[in-house]
This record gives sequence, C-alpha cells and structure tokens, in this order.
Amino acid sequence: MNKTNTAPARLGFIGVLLLTVAGCAGLAPQSSLEQVQQQSAELTGQDALHWATEQDQPPVVRERIAELLAEPLALESAVEIALMNNPGLQARLFDLGIADAQRVQASRLPNPGFSIGRMTRGSEVEWERGLHLNLGSLIALPLTRRIAEGQNAQVQREVSLSVMRLATDTRIAWYRAVAAQQSLAYSEQVLQAADAGAEMAHRMAAVGNYSALQQAREQSFYAEAALSHLQARQEQVASHERLVRLLGLWGEQTNFTLPERLPDVPAEPLDQPDIEQQAMASRLDVQAAQQGAERLATNLKLGKATRFINVLELGISNNSSNEEPVQRGYEITVELPLFDWSGARMAGNEARYMQQLQRTAEVAINARSQVRESYQAYRTAWDVAAHYRDEIVPLRKRISEENMLLYNGMFIGVFELLADAREQISTVNRYLQAQSDFWVAQSELDLVRFGPVTPSEANSASTTPASPAGGH
Amino acid sequence: MVSRRDFFMGAGAITAAVAASSVSRVSLAGLPEPVIQSSPETMAPLEPNTGRPYKPVVTLNGWTLPWRMNNGVKEFHLVAEPVVREMAPGFNAHLWGYNGQSPGPTIEVVEGDRVRIFVTNKLPEHTSIHWHGQRLPNGMDGVAGLNQRAIPAGKTYVYEFEAKRPGTFMYHPHADEMVQMAMGMMGFWVTHPRDAHPNIDEVDRDYCFLLNAYDVEPGSYTPKIMEMLDFNIWTFNSRVFPGIDPLVARKDDKVRIRVGNLTMTNHPIHLHGHEFEVTGTDGGPVPRGARWPEVTTDVAVGQMRQIEFIASDLGDWAFHCHKSHHTMNAMGHDVPTMLGVDHRKVVTQINSLIPDYMVMGERGMADMAEMQMPLPENTIPMMTGDGPFGSVEMGGMFTMLKVRADQPAGDYSDPGWYQQPEGTQAFEWTGPLAEPARFKSESTTGKPAVEVQVRKPTGHSGH
Ligand SMILES: [Cu+2]
Repeated sequence: MNKTNTAPARLGFIGVLLLTVAGCAGLAPQSSLEQVQQQSAELTGQDALHWATEQDQPPVVRERIAELLAEPLALESAVEIALMNNPGLQARLFDLGIADAQRVQASRLPNPGFSIGRMTRGSEVEWERGLHLNLGSLIALPLTRRIAEGQNAQVQREVSLSVMRLATDTRIAWYRAVAAQQSLAYSEQVLQAADAGAEMAHRMAAVGNYSALQQAREQSFYAEAALSHLQARQEQVASHERLVRLLGLWGEQTNFTLPERLPDVPAEPLDQPDIEQQAMASRLDVQAAQQGAERLATNLKLGKATRFINVLELGISNNSSNEEPVQRGYEITVELPLFDWSGARMAGNEARYMQQLQRTAEVAINARSQVRESYQAYRTAWDVAAHYRDEIVPLRKRISEENMLLYNGMFIGVFELLADAREQISTVNRYLQAQSDFWVAQSELDLVRFGPVTPSEANSASTTPASPAGGH
Repeated sequence: MVSRRDFFMGAGAITAAVAASSVSRVSLAGLPEPVIQSSPETMAPLEPNTGRPYKPVVTLNGWTLPWRMNNGVKEFHLVAEPVVREMAPGFNAHLWGYNGQSPGPTIEVVEGDRVRIFVTNKLPEHTSIHWHGQRLPNGMDGVAGLNQRAIPAGKTYVYEFEAKRPGTFMYHPHADEMVQMAMGMMGFWVTHPRDAHPNIDEVDRDYCFLLNAYDVEPGSYTPKIMEMLDFNIWTFNSRVFPGIDPLVARKDDKVRIRVGNLTMTNHPIHLHGHEFEVTGTDGGPVPRGARWPEVTTDVAVGQMRQIEFIASDLGDWAFHCHKSHHTMNAMGHDVPTMLGVDHRKVVTQINSLIPDYMVMGERGMADMAEMQMPLPENTIPMMTGDGPFGSVEMGGMFTMLKVRADQPAGDYSDPGWYQQPEGTQAFEWTGPLAEPARFKSESTTGKPAVEVQVRKPTGHSGH
C-alpha cells in the first residue's frame, strides 16, 4: 500500500511541475477581437466590431442599424452597418476564436503516457508501472507556444485586413450607388430633352413644317435616350443591390435612401512623397511575412535544440513485485541518431526559412509597387475629375450659354438647343463618373497602406473621351 | 478721327492725317501724304478747289479721297491696309480696306484728267488694283501677273493714266482677289463729264455706294473668306441698316444714285414712291431713247447702275434690295420653321432644362425684332431698326429716301421722321367684319386630297 501510495504522489508532483513550466494559458478570444478592432480602426474609423454570438442580432445592434437607415445613408454609416452586419465578416471573426483555441491548445503539455505491466515468474508476480512523458515536447514548449501565439497574431492580422477590405468595398459600393443614382437623374433629364424634341417634331409634322424623315430623326434621339435611361436604371439597381449585400440587409431594411450627390472632389490632391515608407510600416502583409520569417527562425533554433532529444523520452518506473521490494527508478530511452542524424529535417527547415525570406522580400516589393500604383491611380483620377470640374464642364456651360445667344439671334433652332442640352447633361454625367472614380481610387489608396489591392477598373471609365463637341 | 473737313481747313491739317508707321516718311517723300479716315459717317461732298470744276458726289457712309495737283496731274495716295469697319453701332468687322476704311474712299476726277495714283501696300500679302471699267493703258489695268507684278507688302506702286470717259467705276484688287474682295477691298470711282454731255444730266444730289456681302460668324469679327454663297451680312458700303444713312433730298431735287455690285449675287434695288430711269451702266450713259421707267433695277455681279429721278413726293421712302433675306442681318439658314407649331407644355419641359428658352417663330419671325434678347457679342439682331411706328423689321441692304420740302441745298443731314399730313395714313377699320363667302369645292372622294390644318392666330396671346 505504502509503496503504491507514494508513486502517484510523485507523479502528481511532476505534473504540477510540468504545468508550471507550461504556464496557465487561458482562452481569450475577446482580446483578439480588440486587437483586430485596434488594427482596423485606422482605416475604418469605427469600433463597431462585435461577435454575433447568438442567432439573432442583439437589440442594440438592430436598433443602431435601424437608426442609421432612417436617414439618407451616409458613407461612414454604411461602413458602420457593414462592420456590424455583414455575415461574411461575422463568419470571418470566428477565425479569431479558432486561432485562440489553437493557441491555448499549443501551450498545453502533451499528455503523459502511462504503462502498466504484470509479469509472472513462477510464483512471482511483478507489476511494472510507468509514467512516460515526451521530454522533447516539454523542452520545446516555450518555443511551440511562441509559434502558436505568432500564428494567432497572424490570424488577427488577416482578420483585420478582411475588416478593412470590407470597409473599403462598402465605401466603393456606396460611391458607385450614389453615382448611379445621380446618373439616373441625369439620364432622366436627357430623356426629357429628347422627349421635348420628339414632341416638338411631332407637332411640327402635324402642322406641315416637318417631313416624316425629319420627325423620325428627332424621334430616334428620344428612342436612344430611352435606351440609355433603361441602362442607367439597371446600373442604379445593380449598384444598390451590391451595397445591400455588403451591408447584410434584407427585407424592409433594403428600402434605405442615399444622399443625392457625391461629395465634391477635394480642391487639391493629396501629395504623399513618403507613401512607400509609410506603407512599409503599416502594411499587414509585410508585417506578417516578417513575422513568418521570424517564426521559422525560431523553428530552426528549435530544430537545432531538439536535434537529438526530440526523441528523448523520460519515464518513471515503479516496478513492484510480490517477492521483491518495490523497484523504483527511471528510465530514459534515447533514440540514437544513428540513421537519422536530423540532417534532412534541418536542411528542410533551413530551406523553408530561406524560402520565407524570399517570400518576405517579394511581399515587400509587391507592396511598394502596389502603393505606387494606387497613388498614381489616385492622382490620375484626381487630375481627370479636376479637369472635368475646371475645364470641360465650364467650357460646356460656356458653349451652352453661347448657343442660347445664337438661339436668341435665330442663328440656330430649338432642336439644336435641345441637342446642346442633351450634350451638356451627358458631359456633367461624365464628370460625375470621374468624381466617382476619384473616390474609388481614394478608398483603394487608403486600403493599400494596409494590404494588397488590385486597382479597380474604375479609372478606365473616366478616361472615355468626351463626346464630339457640338452635338449637332 | 480725322474728318476731311478738318483736313482742308489749313496746311496744319495735313499733319493730322497720319501715315501708318511701317512706311517711312523718307520713302514717302515726294508722295502725297495719305489721308486716313476713321469715321463711318457720310461725309459732306468734297468740293474741288483745284483742277477742273465738277459737282461732287456723296458717298453713302463714306468719303472722297483728297488729291494734290502736281504739274497738272491729279495725285492720289491709296494705302491698302487692315481696317476696322463699324458695320452698325455695336458691330465691328475686321476688314482690309484703303486709307482707314472699307470700302476705300471714292475717287472723283473729271473727264480728261491726268491721274497718278500711288498705291502703298500695307497688307500682309501682295496686292494690286484694277480700275474697273476704265479705258487705260494695258500696263495700268492692275491684273497681277498679267499686266504688272503684284505690289509686294510694304511697297508702293504708281498707276498713271487719263480718265478718258465719264461715268461710274470701281476699283478693287486683282491679286488674291477672292480673299481681298471677301475682306472688303474695294472703292468707288466717279469720272465727271468735262463739259455738258447730251446723255448726262446735271443733278442736285448725286449719291454713290457699293453693294458688298460678308460672312461674319455671330460673335466673331473677321469675315469667312471661303464663303461662296451663304453670306449673312448684306451691306451698302459695308454698313447694315440701321447703320446706313438715309438718302436725303429736297422736294423736286433731281437725284442720281450710283450703285456698284461687288458681291457674288445680283441685287434688285428697289425704290418706293418714285419711278426712276437707269441713266448709266458700266459702259457709260444710257442714250435717252433707250431708258425706260423702273421702280426696281437689278444690279448684276460686277455691274454698276446709275438711276435718276425727281424726288417729287414728300416722305420717308424705303430703298432696298428686294431679295428679302438681303434686308436681314445675320441669321441662321437652317433654323426650322416653327410657324403655327403649338408649344404648349413642351415649352415648360424645355424651360426646366434650359431656363432662358423662349418660344420664337411660332407666330412668325417678327417676335425676333420685338424681344430684344441677349445675343452673341459683336452681333446685331437679324432685324432691327425702329421707325416712328415701331420696328422696321429689316436690316442689311435697307435705307430710306427722305424727301423734304425744306431740306436746304447741300444739306445731307438726316431730317428725322416724316410728319405725315392728317388723313394720309393707313388706319384701323373699326366697323363690322362680314364673314367672307368661301368657294366650296367638292372632291370625288368626299375628302380633300391633302388635309391642311391652319391655325389662325388671334392676336398676341398665349405667351
Ligand atoms: Cu440683294
């Protein structure tokens, strides 16, 4: 009895010892969320992240969304709703919980093994008990814990990037939706001008001043304007739905309204000569790549440290026999690196490390390039929009004013005046597109400081040539 | 402004007439000082104080070039140069002309005069002058390349010949003439008879002007020189009504009007209230037996016509080209006819897009003269000019013959509007209007072949 009592006590002691070595790693997903909140707030300007822990939205969230949707939906309100309500993001946030659990898991010791044997030799019965613990894991524990923590940090970074990407996508969708709505209003005006022309032509034909050909020509402007109007309506619906999806809205909620017009393009563009340096410090993918390399370096160190002992097993033996006194002791089995000197594993680790270094370099180079490209796209978008604002639109207005004077002097007729009105409206519409492209480029420039962005096709829209002047 | 009157007041006035700087005084030594005119007003006739006497003409909105007698030769100095011509108040054209004006000054000489004309070219390109209708030596006829070398820019050439036959003539370039005529280079020439001529009467008033046409884009200043037919500015001496002075006469004055046509179309020139005879053409005086009475005479391209009549009837009588578009100023030629088109509702729709839009032409174009809406700069409305009873609704080649009982001889100033005697003016009928009996035709189908809807306007309503 005596003998049998002491062994578990010792084993218990070892357990306590091991636990002390391992440290008390508890689950803390909330702090992960706070980390993400912090990292993404610089771009989102929001602290709207929360766990959707229940099937239904908490009333406070539901009320907040209803409150934001009651007004014409402002840009940052849209971002706030998306961060609270986008189901894809909610799903993504659970990666934090999973990673946190893995981190905690990694800091736990491997379960010790217990062996028991009973042997008889004649009348002798021999009990052999053993508690075995993989000593290598124990020695490696601080290192593996750091690796797991690193992995957790990486997941946080990725989730942060997802948050920022969602905010950016939401902003872009908002700009597009507002622009499409404005565009629809312009197309209605064009339709109205064409309608007036068609109606006038109809009346002229009715009193014998216009031939069927002349009337048909004016009617055809109306027919084409109607087509453009259909397309504008489709674009308005599509862009609205895209925004609805990003905001995670359904049912009654989708009936929100948007402001009537896009914000003005800033008077001066952002001049950022050191944007590359800034981005190097803030790009999460660069940070992740660096940390990945560090982690591999740690791994490499670990590999070296456990080169021979990774197979080392510490066992405590407690052999009792009915004839002999209890035989106590320990045994260590060593796997002799006779055939596996761990050389291959070391080489693999080293190769992986070198690979990671190259990947890190690639990420950094790509990041710099993306930042430059996004800044260039931003500058071009600003230049185009400013050119429309400062040159093309005022000129078009001037042309319309002069045409009005020509009409007054009966140098041109009402149809030319209406054609001019149509032309002026479409010029203003193209300016609107350029404005929208600018804001998209601005949003992408904001995001590219934190993560990879493929500059959108946006800028091709505004570089479409102004339609031939005159219009008649 | 240097008026000719000032110029002849004394020797000091000579210096007031300034030659432009690019021709040096040294090089001009020995030449008559060129006289420059900047006013577009009709100048009083230039009474000859040297040379043979004659009764001078009055150039409508123009002037006569002074000369210098040099050993019995009449010397003139023409300077071909860019000018600004006021076509009407508020409407200036950038033209090429002579001595500050386009058309250039009228040259008046007497049959048998020896004439020497210095022509200084201050245009950016070469030029030459053709003396349209004159009998002269071949080498003085002025066709560049054919009769002489073109006068290079900056150079002065001399033309010298005898004014052989009396009559009405013109001068104009014959070098790059398409451009130079389109730019307004032309002038009048009158050779007065030396002695009493059987076919040339003495007149009390002798007016002359050229017909010219330009294409000046509304809001611009320079004529489009490539235009061939679609001109928009039809002028007497490069002036458009109401910028054209009236022809003034004392009752029963014998009046001669000389018209030369340097446009690219003919102009039926029509006088109200009187009959006239065409007493002269490019070829000279018309024999009396060949004259016939007219109220309109067509002046073909490149032609001159002299008409004469007794201003027997008091009043303000219209005198104009009878092509109705030629009594209009600049206007669009592709403007749709809006006559009778109902604008209701449509105009509201248009106004929401074009707030300044106003309906024009629904009732006719007379709205145009009434509305006084803002126009492009340097443009005058297509019809303008007010008479004592409202808008005259004409522009372009339009002026008036004003016959007054008390207009002093030699006074060419505008006497104002004619006061019509009581009971001599059209008046409103206020009696009953019987419904007219209309002829009713029967069609075999029971329907008219073409249905024509005519909206009959009932006064000014609905705008
Ligand atoms: Cu005419």
